[in-house]
Amino acid sequence: MAYMTATERLEAAIRIGKPDRVPVVPIYDFFSSRYGGITQREMFFDIKKADLALEKTISDLGPIDGQHLSYAGIGRIMEIIFPQPPIMPGVNGVPEDAQFQFVEKSMIGREDYARLKDRNSILWLLDTLKIRHPQLRNPIGLAKAIATIGIDTLKMRRSRMGWLKKGVETTVGYNIPFTPLEWISICLRSFNDFVLDLFRYPDEVKAAAKALMMPMKMQGLLMVKLSGLKRVFMGGARTSASCISPKQFEEFALPEWQEMAEYFVGKGITPFLHLDSDWTAFYPYLKSLPVRKCVLNLDGTSDIFKAKEILGDHFCIMGDVPATMLKLGEPDEVDEYCRRLIKEIGADGGFILSSGCTLPIDAKPENVKVMLASVHRYGKYPIHA
Amino acid sequence: MSENLAKMLVELDEQGVLDEVEAALNRGKDPMSIVEGLRQGMAEVGRRFEEKEYFLSELIMSAEIFKEAIAEIEPHLKPEEGNSRGVIVLGTVKGDLHDIGKNIVAALLRCEGYEVRDLGVDVPPDKFISTIKETGASLLALSGLLTLAFDSMKETVDVLKKAGMRDEVKVIIGGGPVNEQVVEYSGADAFGSDAAQAVKLANGYLGG
Repeated sequence: MAYMTATERLEAAIRIGKPDRVPVVPIYDFFSSRYGGITQREMFFDIKKADLALEKTISDLGPIDGQHLSYAGIGRIMEIIFPQPPIMPGVNGVPEDAQFQFVEKSMIGREDYARLKDRNSILWLLDTLKIRHPQLRNPIGLAKAIATIGIDTLKMRRSRMGWLKKGVETTVGYNIPFTPLEWISICLRSFNDFVLDLFRYPDEVKAAAKALMMPMKMQGLLMVKLSGLKRVFMGGARTSASCISPKQFEEFALPEWQEMAEYFVGKGITPFLHLDSDWTAFYPYLKSLPVRKCVLNLDGTSDIFKAKEILGDHFCIMGDVPATMLKLGEPDEVDEYCRRLIKEIGADGGFILSSGCTLPIDAKPENVKVMLASVHRYGKYPIHA
Repeated sequence: MSENLAKMLVELDEQGVLDEVEAALNRGKDPMSIVEGLRQGMAEVGRRFEEKEYFLSELIMSAEIFKEAIAEIEPHLKPEEGNSRGVIVLGTVKGDLHDIGKNIVAALLRCEGYEVRDLGVDVPPDKFISTIKETGASLLALSGLLTLAFDSMKETVDVLKKAGMRDEVKVIIGGGPVNEQVVEYSGADAFGSDAAQAVKLANGYLGG
């Protein structure tokens, strides 16, 4: 098959077609920054340093077709857009090289569900942001925050264009939006409170989620506009089968997944369904999402081989070399796992090899090298891995 | 009555359980038999979870109802009836702040009648060791979601060894990416792939 660029290769796979070979897109920022010799703080707040670290990683460990989530350079934006305080390296006494994490904490009370429903939802979202960001309470602070988002986004876009010239595509720009329920359970209520709310106040949760739908769609469109990519992240974890029951999924979550995916697809945008935790029991439901228009990105917890069986004609599948294997496994084990993925999921096309969610910061470089090499060793079409 | 109470708990009928507990206490029912009814309900919820009839949200809700019911019953228990089945020290290891899994395991272990010393998140090895010394616990449960947590689990087990306490204390681990490979790496005794398995392991080690 004729040689393809990384962009053509990814686009062919996304359309569930066969490119010249299986594309490889590690979710790299945490790992590549440490491997490239910079701190996590530098990666979040200095995109030029992050780019140099990525360059060294690629030069040492092998070429990649794309980057997925971009944490590089997004530090100032993340500090603004999330209502609950993320633990950012180098901020508020957190060590410079600590790993970014969220803290599980309810930022709103149950009574806020009704307020969210009654107030214009975008203003309400702003209210929730103001709880943590007092500077947003006055017009100058708000203008500065918007300017920060604009400036840093432009820097990231410039970085992305630079990588494209070097043959590295970007799949999606930034790791938002989420579906409304995911946003509520990650950013507004703690997971425990969210689950109890589903049982105790189902109608209030539904009404609040409905009110959040519009701003979540807008977030997605904004990401598309800012990144210049016709692809968008759609994150899920807490509406997975690891967390809620099929009955709850059907009643609360599925309609949201359908509505958001259809909305983006209707605008010619490809949603990357970035699904953490175990979604295996919910695969049959996912068939009701737009066919051949989305990428199913799994993190190593769901059964990716079953996904191929049930959803292989429906989605391009992306994944899923498990984090534990990349840290504790041996190169032979990683090689064998990648070979199996390529053979069993990639042989018919429609497959992107990736790490299961973020490639661990402390993965063994020799394992990463083997993973990247596997697409050249086994992934050229026609595949006989 | 206990069967009815257990059934309501399994059906996650929060108000029903609380009303029934209150009524039973007013009727002068032996508080320990009410607790027993609730435990039967929790056991059935656990069974359904293992059979994949119930999911995590149902476990969380049942544990919440159990907790509320016990709070109603507790003032009526005689001091010796409140005795636990053993002490378990638990926490998310150093460097890791994730606590969803840990909190669920803690809640379920409490439902089983264990006294759980939950040390929270980002817990340094020394804190685990000093709490084990203080409580005489013979089971340590370590949680973590990041791969960095594997190193902290290993460090905790190593410190336990250095303190000469490894033979007396069993160590179980859990969290999203934790598997047999992590057990081997960290030197723990076993891992639970979900909260119900963690309870099973605890019952196995503590003779429950």
